[in-house]
Amino acid sequence: MTQPLLSLRNIEKSFGRVQAVAGLDLDVMENEFFALLGASGSGKTTLLRMLAGFEVPTAGTVLLDGQDISNVPPNHRPVNLMFQSYALFPHMTVFQNVAYGLEMDKRPRSEIKQQVGEMLEVIQLSHLANRKPDQLSGGQKQRVALARSLVKRPRLLLLDEPLGALDKKLRGEMQLELKRIQHEFGITFIVVTHDQEEALVMADRIAILKDGKLLQCGTPKDIYEHPQSLFAADFIGFMNFLPVRLTQGQLRNAEGGIVQAALPEGLGEGESASAAVRPERLRIGAPGDANQITGTVSALAYHGQDLQVHIDTPLSPQPVMLRLTADAADADEGRQVTVGDPITVSWSAKDTRVFAT
Amino acid sequence: MRAQANPRLMLVILSAVFAFLYIPIGVLFGLSFNEGGLPTAWTGFSVKWYGSLLANDDIMGAAFNTLKVAVVSTVIATVLGTLLAVGVEIRRRKGRFLETIIFAPMIIPDIVLAIALLSFFSLLNVTMGLHTVIVSHVVFNLAFVCSVVRARLKTFDWSIVEASTDLGAPTIVTLWRIVLPVLMPAVIAGALLAFTLSVDEFIIAFFTAGAGRDSITLPMQIYSMIRFGVTPEINALATIVMTLSVIALTLSQRINRGRLPGQ
Repeated sequence: MTQPLLSLRNIEKSFGRVQAVAGLDLDVMENEFFALLGASGSGKTTLLRMLAGFEVPTAGTVLLDGQDISNVPPNHRPVNLMFQSYALFPHMTVFQNVAYGLEMDKRPRSEIKQQVGEMLEVIQLSHLANRKPDQLSGGQKQRVALARSLVKRPRLLLLDEPLGALDKKLRGEMQLELKRIQHEFGITFIVVTHDQEEALVMADRIAILKDGKLLQCGTPKDIYEHPQSLFAADFIGFMNFLPVRLTQGQLRNAEGGIVQAALPEGLGEGESASAAVRPERLRIGAPGDANQITGTVSALAYHGQDLQVHIDTPLSPQPVMLRLTADAADADEGRQVTVGDPITVSWSAKDTRVFAT
Repeated sequence: MRAQANPRLMLVILSAVFAFLYIPIGVLFGLSFNEGGLPTAWTGFSVKWYGSLLANDDIMGAAFNTLKVAVVSTVIATVLGTLLAVGVEIRRRKGRFLETIIFAPMIIPDIVLAIALLSFFSLLNVTMGLHTVIVSHVVFNLAFVCSVVRARLKTFDWSIVEASTDLGAPTIVTLWRIVLPVLMPAVIAGALLAFTLSVDEFIIAFFTAGAGRDSITLPMQIYSMIRFGVTPEINALATIVMTLSVIALTLSQRINRGRLPGQ
């Protein structure tokens, strides 16, 4: 196995009595697009700042290319950070902003000029090289910040909520743009985000953080389809939860009906659990499926690309949600779903995850 | 119903206030160009009092002293005041006590500061002269420069400092290439304010200049001349000092309010 680019070994960070990061191990491979995903207060930003060198870990080591860099100051690390606020130098032009890092490396002028020029090509802002930051739009600032942190060709590029300040449409474009640039430059990206959708779209691998601990780490598909905890299942995408109980070796729902699913390890007889299924795995009227529930349609939410059907059922305190693609919704026109109608939905055993509660 | 303010009455009051403020200055300004030199009669326009001002060695010597004091104390106060402001801002978590101490020289009455400085210099057995005036002016100018720069720092985006470090800059380079240029409008404004305050400062200079004629500053010179009556030369001198002060203050406000230089 190749050596990981970045290895975190039992990293801890406390501020006074508050523990922001609590004993965390993580490996990031060369050329990976890695996402640290967590709610605010999960320790993801603190972790990022330790990688950049702005915080020193209370315990543990940060290894980059096998070298311990835990105590190396930020200006001596081959790591660059793209700040959430972009942190562009307001008194410098776009060109000067991008050139700054190369000047600090004491590169020759001609080389700086050439490299900055190339970089501005990549982000398609060559025509704005002489503008000051306050004459740029949000999206343009974001690109300049990216160019500035990328032009030094760091071993590792850290991005703190890179798309947080952009509007939704621009965000979608920039997600793909970031992926393209990452691929083109072959630099390892670690992006911090609270937006699970963003993480799913962009990252090769995702680490879910909660309370300063690593909850799960894997590919987006892995995380989405095989969440290993109730929190991960709930945090990523939408998930329906049905309260169940293990009775006589079978999972049974609130009304005693059997729920077919692989049992989680260590679930004892009589203990309660939560059976989870994604809305897009539910089907209307497929008698071959192992599991089914009956209820009343309580609401319909039209999203353009799909139709969300909310179903009230005595089996779950929250309405169960079913997602029909536009195609499926059209095909279903014959027996149109209307609010107030009774409805039976089903799903297969393999699409069901069970978590002890 | 709310009483409507009478616009005409408002205008009258406003005019009265401005008249009260500016008529004396206007009179002074006019008299400095009065041929005859007497405040009682206008005998024609002339700039001869400005000429005789230039010929007066005492006044010119004092003016040169004041310039020396103002320039040197401004430079020192600007450098120290800016560093102090940045330092305090970085350690601002230590509470407001530090801030109070720094700004005390702005609030303490001049006369108290003057006596304190005089006692201090006597205690240390320092020979007094222009250098002690400079040091004393640094004391209060420092507070003014610091407060102007601090005001600017309140809206300072510290992430650009981290960005500079992240891009490989040592602290001193970050200070020189990032922090200072961004703060420059406030630094210049603080310097101009300090210069203005120093030029017309009288009490502290009077107490700390010592006895020699060599260390007399312009306000002290004017004071000593005025004891023998207001001469037209003083009107001319006052007009010049006032004009310079107004220019410096206006510049200071413009620069600090405006955008960054070069934009």
